[in-house]
Amino acid sequence: MTASRLVIRTVRYGGVWASLLAVTSLLEAGATLLLPAVLGRAVDGVLGGSRSLTWPLVYAGLVAVSMTCDALTDLSIGTGTAAATARLRHLFTRHVLRLGPSAGLPAGDLTSRAVTATADTAYAPSAAILTATAVVPPLGGVIALILLDPWLALTFGLGLPAIVALLRAFVRDTSAVVGRYLEAQGRIATRLVETLAGNRTVAAAGTAEREAARVLAPLPDLAAHGHATWRIQATISGRGTLAVPLLRVAVLAVAGYELSRGRLTAGGLLAGTQYAGLGADIGPVIAQLGRLARARAGAARLAPVLDQAPPAYGPASLPDGPGLLEFRGVSAASVLDGLDLVVPGGGAVAVVGRSGGGKSLLAALAGRLADPDDGEVLLDGVPLTSLEHGALRDAVGYAFARPALFGDTIAEAIGGDAETAARAACADAFIRRLPLGYRTPPSEAPMSGGELQRLGLARAFAHPGRVLILDDATSSLDTVTETQVGDVLTRDGRTRLIIAHRVGTAARADLVAWLDGGTVRACAPHRELWPDPEYREVFGE
Amino acid sequence: MTIRRVLTAALRRRPHALCGRARSTARCSVSDHRVRARRVLAAALRRRRRALVMFGLWSALGAVPVLVFGRSVAGATDAFLAHRTWPALAWLGALAGGAAVGAVGAARAYGPLAAIVEPFRDALVRHVVRGAVHESVRTGRADDGAVARLTQQVEIVRDTFSGLLSIASGFAFTLAGALIGLLTLMPVTLLLVVPPVVAGLGLFLGLVARSVRRQRELILAEERIAESATALAGGLRDITACGTEEAVAASAGRLIDLQAAAARSMARLAAGRTVALAVGGRLPLLLVLAAAPWLVRRGATPGVVLGSLTYVLQGLSPALATVIRGVGGSGLRLAVTLDRVMSAAEVPPVPRPSRAGGSELALCRVTYAYGPDAEPVIDDLSLRVPEGDHLAVVGPSGIGKSTLSRLAAGLLAPVRGSVTLGGVPAAEADPSVRALIPQEAYVFGGTFRENLSYLRPGASDHALDHAVAAVGATPLAERLGGLGGTVDPAALSAGERQLIALARAYVSPARLVILDEATCHLDATAEERAERAFAARPGALVVIAHRMTSARRARRVLVLDGTRAWLGAHEDLLEDCPLYRELHGHWTTEGQAPAVR
Repeated sequence: MTASRLVIRTVRYGGVWASLLAVTSLLEAGATLLLPAVLGRAVDGVLGGSRSLTWPLVYAGLVAVSMTCDALTDLSIGTGTAAATARLRHLFTRHVLRLGPSAGLPAGDLTSRAVTATADTAYAPSAAILTATAVVPPLGGVIALILLDPWLALTFGLGLPAIVALLRAFVRDTSAVVGRYLEAQGRIATRLVETLAGNRTVAAAGTAEREAARVLAPLPDLAAHGHATWRIQATISGRGTLAVPLLRVAVLAVAGYELSRGRLTAGGLLAGTQYAGLGADIGPVIAQLGRLARARAGAARLAPVLDQAPPAYGPASLPDGPGLLEFRGVSAASVLDGLDLVVPGGGAVAVVGRSGGGKSLLAALAGRLADPDDGEVLLDGVPLTSLEHGALRDAVGYAFARPALFGDTIAEAIGGDAETAARAACADAFIRRLPLGYRTPPSEAPMSGGELQRLGLARAFAHPGRVLILDDATSSLDTVTETQVGDVLTRDGRTRLIIAHRVGTAARADLVAWLDGGTVRACAPHRELWPDPEYREVFGE
Repeated sequence: MTIRRVLTAALRRRPHALCGRARSTARCSVSDHRVRARRVLAAALRRRRRALVMFGLWSALGAVPVLVFGRSVAGATDAFLAHRTWPALAWLGALAGGAAVGAVGAARAYGPLAAIVEPFRDALVRHVVRGAVHESVRTGRADDGAVARLTQQVEIVRDTFSGLLSIASGFAFTLAGALIGLLTLMPVTLLLVVPPVVAGLGLFLGLVARSVRRQRELILAEERIAESATALAGGLRDITACGTEEAVAASAGRLIDLQAAAARSMARLAAGRTVALAVGGRLPLLLVLAAAPWLVRRGATPGVVLGSLTYVLQGLSPALATVIRGVGGSGLRLAVTLDRVMSAAEVPPVPRPSRAGGSELALCRVTYAYGPDAEPVIDDLSLRVPEGDHLAVVGPSGIGKSTLSRLAAGLLAPVRGSVTLGGVPAAEADPSVRALIPQEAYVFGGTFRENLSYLRPGASDHALDHAVAAVGATPLAERLGGLGGTVDPAALSAGERQLIALARAYVSPARLVILDEATCHLDATAEERAERAFAARPGALVVIAHRMTSARRARRVLVLDGTRAWLGAHEDLLEDCPLYRELHGHWTTEGQAPAVR
């Protein structure tokens, strides 16, 4: 799906509100265009001594139409955009969740797409319609001038280029100054980040005031560039406030001359000055074009993600079984190449190998956090790809080196019998020391990397599945805790696939799968492999 | 600083106004936001009274075109109709002249506007930076929101504040110009114009008051969506692994729908603004038009009728449209955002009592817990570290070793018991008596010399060179280009950063040095060299050990195990303390082939 197609699809999301907007904004533009002419007629009638109320009433009616349409336009822009934003956000969020880790984008990037790009794109229906209708007043204004008096139109036509040149100068002049301003701001931000990261040192040294002064050192620079932005705006504004009134004076002079010649009525003069104003009113067109461009840019950021096909789950449920995990000729990401491995049901297999050798990839494949390019992974004889979503996720639990916790409290983030699981993961003691114990929200708990890891382990222990996959999940634990967790793991009757860096972890497993060159070089108990110097080298021996 | 004065004044009146950042969103009511924002803004304007007056004067000049427009149209029309071309051109000349004056006024108004807004921005930046630095020092956590406050929220305040000032003054002077113009043209028209304008403005203000709560809800809903999206994007792998896609999508979806509901309700109010605009901006025109025959009978020339209509069309209506479309959202956005910026608590730097004393560290029955309901991290611990001692602290991770180091440095106050340095409470002791080097080495952009002399400003180059050599940072110093070389923190490895922090502590005047895993990114040899350098340095040394080898080098070892603590020499502990044996055993055997099970 291209960005343009997504924009078109989004326009359809506007639904009934977009249709309403199209009608009301067009009606409003039409009324805006008719108002000066009708006012002119009404004024001429009054000045001519006519007692007819026709034109004043038509004028009042048009004002009522214009105002009603204005209100409905505001309403449909706001409501339609809100609806389209919500639909895009639902769509994008659900799609990203279906993609899971295969979305393959940095978190910050994904966040800005989910929040900002959706909102920008959702303005597409309004921007598209308003761009079309915003053309009506300036275009109609010029046509009205021609109809009213060609000389007025000519005068206007000669002055218009000045206004266009002015609007262009604005974009050109400001960007450089604004760039320098942002750069100075960035320097302050960088220093602030440095200092905040070093808060413990600053606290210990008692140098907070000195640090604040250091961070603020570029502030005079920021202020200088800030003043420069105002000076530029002053210059541009000076030109702007002069150009439009002078154009009006010129039109007025010609209109007056035509008035004195009897070729234009007083009402015509009033209408002429207003049409000149309408004709010059190209600001809204440019603004809406800008918003349309932003909507398209937003769509260009959403479309590639929405285009990715999420991994499909099959219909199969999982038969009873010991949790036998098989890799058959698995190739993935040009790292694993035709790998075969059998993890016996209820057994523990440690995976070792050089960093970058595909250990984490193997862990991801084992529970279908990624799919192989070739070959297949089976659990108790059933290919993972044919398993139904719930069946697969209920069967396989994971623990990671840097787990992300979801839930309002620590207990919720762990799930299941949180306290038992936490005790198994040696996390119970430190959780109890948190300000609200198990009720502490994860985001407010001051946690070290090791403590976070233990919560991730607890979550995995609380998982009821038949397979447990530990991807470097004990790397930040001290040796004592690791031993204790290792003992729990050894007693666990589930199938365990453990990515390991430390000798101790490998030694405790039933088998060690030694990854080398994209395949399993050997799969044997640790003590049998240890004599091999190349094996020892894997652990930095 | 004015903001602080305003803030402290506000605090005195309502002590809960400065509740923490997280709590402020929940507990501070809308009126608090507006009161605080109004006070801060009023203070900013009061401080720049002269600039405000100049801004008003130039803005008034900027409204001259509006003032002369209707009159010129009136004069020129009548002159043209009378075939008196020159007077007509004179009127048009006056209009052009007015436009020129207006352009000068509009341009010059930016100077005083900048003189109001820029210092205000400076004050906000100072507030954010000082608040964030003090807060992070107090809590020991880097405030993630500080950079967003600095780069985004302060800029929103700057833009909306200046925008509102411009709109407000533009509206006031345009309105005044049009009304004065009408007054000089035909005073009776004011009777037709003023009442609807007042009614329209009244309607508008009523709407603004009603939209405050919804606008705030909208801003908060957007923030919650951003937070949830950040968590979701960072935890995709975990969500998939736990199979909780549906639950997460549902909870994210609820926030999305809440935001949409808030946006829809704002859209309905926005539509309501049109009514105010119709009454204030369009009704006067209809009234003047309807009354035109009567005006003509009272002697209004065609020019006067045209001029009056022009004042309404080109002066009143656009002015009302600008203020009604421009102020609605941005005023509240300013109030809410400014409140966010201000709620970064500015900790007024309490002058820390600084009493000179010796360097002997003494903990007497110290207990510390992170919350009233939490179990203690340090429980009834007593300890003395005399001058010249070398103590290593070991124990499982998360057991409270870093907490102990912060207690010893006086950065945390014990719940029970006392911590003293040379007989003075640790929190009140002269900070230069002790140096605490944490695991995350602090290195800042600047010269190598500035970084090294951080704890001893003005230290001689000789002393700095000696420290660099002592901790083994000479190769790093050479690579950086000596003491005058520039340090780019991002370009250094974690180990190199630690070497800089170590040299800094070495050269400091501290008589007690606490290394809290400060060598964890060095290899074992480099760690040993650095530790031996500190051990040979005069004064006492406390090492929170990352590797058990640090304990073997120490004179005494403190073993922490949550509920219990052992203190003794390495050999004694090996015999008496099973945990120490375990810690030690695992460390030493790890390198070798473990026993076969």
